[in-house]
Amino acid sequence: MASRTVLSAVARSVAPRLAIQGGARNAVAVAARPAYPTRSFASASRLAAKRFTEDHEWIDYDESSKKGKVGITEYAANALGDVVYVELPAVDTEVSAGDAVGAVESVKSASDILTPVSGKVVGINSTLEEKPATINKSPEQDGWIVELELTDAAELESLMDEAKYKSFTEELGDDH
Amino acid sequence: MPCRLQQHAGLLRNLTVSNRVAHPSPRVSGRASSSLANHIANNTVQSYTSTSDDPFLNLSFEHQLLQATPLDSAILFLYINRPCVVIGRNQNPWAEVNLHALAAGIPSRSSHQADVAVDLVRRRSGGGTVFHDQGNVNWTVISPASTFTRDKHVEMVVRALRACGVERARVNERHDIVLDTTNAPARDTDSLDTHTTRFTVPRTAKGEENTVKVSGSAYKLTRGRALHHGTCLLQSPHLGRGGILSQLLHAPGKDFITAKGVESVRSPVTNVGIAPQRFMDAVKRTFGDMYTQSQATMIGEEVTEDFESLCKGMAEMRTLEWTFGQTPQFTFAVDSKSAHRLPEGLALPQGASLLVEAKHAAIQQSKFLLRDGKDISAELHDQNLAGTWTWSEKLHDERRSKNLPTEDVTQIADILDRMLPTPASLGFDSR
Repeated sequence: MASRTVLSAVARSVAPRLAIQGGARNAVAVAARPAYPTRSFASASRLAAKRFTEDHEWIDYDESSKKGKVGITEYAANALGDVVYVELPAVDTEVSAGDAVGAVESVKSASDILTPVSGKVVGINSTLEEKPATINKSPEQDGWIVELELTDAAELESLMDEAKYKSFTEELGDDH
Repeated sequence: MPCRLQQHAGLLRNLTVSNRVAHPSPRVSGRASSSLANHIANNTVQSYTSTSDDPFLNLSFEHQLLQATPLDSAILFLYINRPCVVIGRNQNPWAEVNLHALAAGIPSRSSHQADVAVDLVRRRSGGGTVFHDQGNVNWTVISPASTFTRDKHVEMVVRALRACGVERARVNERHDIVLDTTNAPARDTDSLDTHTTRFTVPRTAKGEENTVKVSGSAYKLTRGRALHHGTCLLQSPHLGRGGILSQLLHAPGKDFITAKGVESVRSPVTNVGIAPQRFMDAVKRTFGDMYTQSQATMIGEEVTEDFESLCKGMAEMRTLEWTFGQTPQFTFAVDSKSAHRLPEGLALPQGASLLVEAKHAAIQQSKFLLRDGKDISAELHDQNLAGTWTWSEKLHDERRSKNLPTEDVTQIADILDRMLPTPASLGFDSR
């Protein structure tokens, strides 16, 4: 029946993630994090890449400025549906990894945005106040949410790289 | 009530978005010896029923469950609130609620009884405005976000309603529960299909659905957990044309407000017509069918003793800074072009125009121009609409100091007091 098919399509899993934290993520953290910050070329280029969390946030870190933009992934944006409101934090807010750094509302759902790393909010994407749907149109570029000055760039190493995140979302199933 | 933090509610007066958004990771605070705290932290299937009708307590306990239950657990919570209007996290009370009707309460039917107070509550989940009273049961399911869908638990509630003999109940496209109103059966259906009944007909060309709503859904997602809560109107005495529900949810200022955030979608509603206890028992059974049958724990006001974080959240939820101060940016404007739509008893002075722009209830810009171009809003910059002042007070102070025409100022103050009332003019304070 046609109407039922539409309903099934709407009933997507929302911002899925592993039910049990720890495991792989902590194992990576323990294995990859150096005992002290290193400044080797290899380390710098590794940090410069985009990193991802199991909560479907991304951070794009710029080694030279020590700042990183944070947003939600395309996977999350698809699962959340049409974003109608974005709540942004105040500039200068200090946050620890895992803190809510904003929230979005879509399809009657208020969803917290968690920061992947600790730091200070140095910029917010004011475009989202006027055009919240930017998150759906360009979640990983124009739809960035906050810019952070990182407390410790080594925190990035516990996050997933692009390939790892891709296989993580594939394991979650083809919800969309 | 034994909430140790309640007296500090005033401290929250200076809350800004920043301290509110960036809170530390949740910790279950409270005495380690509390068996309730242990139960909440350790069981994979949990079921609770509240004995309290306090909306602030029930919503705060629910939030505690969202934050403190195991990541892979499934939780059911059932509660009935005293009369209240509950707005969504990102809504505008001035655009959604007739605040004067709310402040007046529900008139008693006899002269021997006092009028019934109606609370205004801003919840933490998204979505639109709803009315609760003793004829409405609220149901909450908290589950892992990884396996969550927006329809999963509303389908569970439809199964419960059908088990109570409500065969017309089904889930609609907005994840709400509606009753099909078509007279004759229109089709054969699979009785397990919670999205169609024998009476379901396609939407007409005009968009008419032949349904009435009995339950609305809203969600809150955080840290791998998904909270889905819904209302279910069973036997509310306040529905119907011109009833108190309809009065409460028609804001006089709505047509003059342009708001960011979330606007409610209006739907005709009705009662299911079954007893609350019967509905709650049926929901417990269908929840048990999905997860594991478990004994429901009764909770009440004593939970404020067990969790410091619950007390803190409850105190915050009762402040004007939360209820009014968390309103997304909006503009209120009346000019000669829109003045004819003003409610009865209000008039805009000839040639005048009004504009207020507020973000988180703080007035960012205001212009109340009289016909001679004089702006009488000077005193209002940096004022907060959630503050303890009234429009009449401010504007008449201005009138006296600048010798402005009394009649014009009174008319303007009347418009603002009626359509954009400050909590102080409604007799509210941070409770």
